[in-house]
Amino acid sequence: MATRTIRKDKQPSRVSPRAAGIASLFIPGLGQILARETRRGLLLFGSIVSIIGLTAWRIYELAHLEPGPLAMLTKAVQRRPVFLIPLLVGIVALWLWSAWDAYQQAHPERRGGGGVFILVIVLFFTLGWQIGEIDLYKLVTELPDAWRPLSQVLWPWPAAIERQEEVLSAGADILVPCDENPPPPPEEVPGQPYLVATPTCGELSTLDENNQIIPGTTLHLVGRGFAPNTETKIWWVDPLGNEFVVRQGGEYIVFETDETGSFEMDLVMPYRLIPPSAAGPQIHRVEARQVVGTGPARPSEPLRISIARMIETIFLGMMATIFGILFSIPISFLAAKNLMSGSPVTLVIYYITRTILNIVRSIEPLIWAIIAVVVVGLGPFAGILALTIHSIAALGKLYSEAIESIDPGPIEAIQATGANRLQTIVYAVIPQMIPPFVSFSIYRWDINVRMSTVIGLVGGGGIGFVLIQYIKLLDYRAAGIAVWFIAITVAILDYVSAEIRQRFV
Amino acid sequence: MLEVKHLTKIYEDGTVALRDVSFTVEDGEFLVIIGLSGSGKSTLLRCINRLIEPTEGQIIWNGVDITAADPVQLRQIRRQIGMIFQQFNLVKRSTVLTNVLAGRLGYVNPWASLLHRFPKQDVEMAMRALERVGIADQAHKRADELSGGQQQRVGIARALMQQPKMILADEPVASLDPVLAHSILGYLEQLNQEEGITVLCSLHYLDLVQRYATRVIGLRDGRIVYRGTREDIRRMTDEEFKEIYGEEAVRVSVGPREGGM
Repeated sequence: MATRTIRKDKQPSRVSPRAAGIASLFIPGLGQILARETRRGLLLFGSIVSIIGLTAWRIYELAHLEPGPLAMLTKAVQRRPVFLIPLLVGIVALWLWSAWDAYQQAHPERRGGGGVFILVIVLFFTLGWQIGEIDLYKLVTELPDAWRPLSQVLWPWPAAIERQEEVLSAGADILVPCDENPPPPPEEVPGQPYLVATPTCGELSTLDENNQIIPGTTLHLVGRGFAPNTETKIWWVDPLGNEFVVRQGGEYIVFETDETGSFEMDLVMPYRLIPPSAAGPQIHRVEARQVVGTGPARPSEPLRISIARMIETIFLGMMATIFGILFSIPISFLAAKNLMSGSPVTLVIYYITRTILNIVRSIEPLIWAIIAVVVVGLGPFAGILALTIHSIAALGKLYSEAIESIDPGPIEAIQATGANRLQTIVYAVIPQMIPPFVSFSIYRWDINVRMSTVIGLVGGGGIGFVLIQYIKLLDYRAAGIAVWFIAITVAILDYVSAEIRQRFV
Repeated sequence: MLEVKHLTKIYEDGTVALRDVSFTVEDGEFLVIIGLSGSGKSTLLRCINRLIEPTEGQIIWNGVDITAADPVQLRQIRRQIGMIFQQFNLVKRSTVLTNVLAGRLGYVNPWASLLHRFPKQDVEMAMRALERVGIADQAHKRADELSGGQQQRVGIARALMQQPKMILADEPVASLDPVLAHSILGYLEQLNQEEGITVLCSLHYLDLVQRYATRVIGLRDGRIVYRGTREDIRRMTDEEFKEIYGEEAVRVSVGPREGGM
């Protein structure tokens, strides 16, 4: 637009300020266009049309069941007053402001500033807040519910070690109902847990016709020789061999033994439906059981899996980086303009290489991983393939730019000494390329290890593969262990790569 | 003796850098080329060792036609011609010693040199060259750790390693402090006077030209517009000066006249 190239010599408005204002009152932006501020007018028109369009869409989303537009508006405002009332006021204000702006634009001296566009941005921001379903209230109120899984992720280490588990138990036979020969108490073996019940016979709890519990006989249980200060549960074993933890008042009977490994308690015999056909005396059994960890502590399964997968992940990233470097070096020469601008043929190769690199690079590694999984199946090889492809494209571009930015001075100087072509490359080209090559390669290794932690989410192997499983199984402690390993590895890698880069560059 | 005959250089974009330039340099001369930036000084110097291929004309050095040399001959010619650059053109990441040793590349076994192996006498020679320019203690530093003046001395040491019969110096002091200029040009003068090395040097400042040149040629738009001896340039009038440097030129005086030897 030739008329706009020199601002000072702007052409005067086609219409009077008043006419421009009125024009913009009917069609926002029209007045500005008439005042030879075409771009400003089009921008305002476009902004107002899109804001109104987006607002109408949100109103429809909020109240599309209402019969007419007015009913929809009313309903939507009722549902989201904090959002819609300021927005509607803002739209009216913007419309009026655009008219006022047209008036100013058409004035020979006074040229309006960018204030009207700040209002446009504010309105878009308001819309974005609603379209993005931003809800800070929810963020605050629902945080406590998330605290339990979150705390398990943040500190998962209790699940990192486990011991060999062994069940300590002792039981006593109970005859139901009592007859003249109640079973004798079990014999006590020194060093073994021992449980004695008095009496050794009785009646189970039963239900009356109103389904009210009629308590059975109360047994006095005395236990000895158990593990001290350990959680203990009382189990009931019926003659058919069915076992269950006894409840009393709706709660499981769970208690801790004292420091000598003994306990003493009263137990009302539980309710058990005895089929009428099974009449006659039956032997039930009451048992006290403890689960105790014995033997040395050892890494738990999630810990072992996480370590193994983390090693896999690091190697996954490393292999992808090495393959990426190997393939991208030759490609980078083809993508360096200073080397390829010699003839039309090489220039065509340059443009083709560049285009392919750009396309490959613009596709995320996660998508490459999905494609690779289709080809070679689940596992780390798919991840290596995906990261290699992306690394080649990214490194190829970075390397070729490093080649392009080589200083020709030293090349000239080495040539002037009578050096041959190979000597010139070794003495003038390679020393200049080492720092960017090392720097970019380490940077890529860094990225690849970080990417390889998530590439497993789509089946590309590595720790992401188990992380997503733990999360889906709601095993937050195990997931936490995996997350910790990722964080530790990435932190170490960050440090190491910074160190190496400092040495080489 | 170096004979430049009807030398013309036209770049691919059509820029004419040199037009029919002819001159002769006797062995042992200190020839200074003066002229504005873009007048063709750098192109002229680079045509002599064919870092830039001349479009037309001949360059004959001691009876050998440089312009007709094949690649092998050209490398043998180049190794006898040292070159010093305005931007020093050192390999910044390599050590000072490696940069100096690079001056031997035209002489040593090419395969051994690819592994950075140089004969012992070459390493000793490099140390002597560094001693001569006063920076032997910097030999194992990286080249970019040195100051500008020191880097140019490394450049001189690199040229010395070629045991040159001629040195081409392209604005050797234009990137340096004026005081350092005398130091650097002092080394060139010493080589010129003591070892009889021919020096072709382009310079900007008239004071330096008067101090060091034995003969001067002036270039403007790729043409020789001035030829003179040291005496001529001392008597140079403002008219002659403006003929070379254009109407807007002013004489600029530079620092002390004593070299930093």
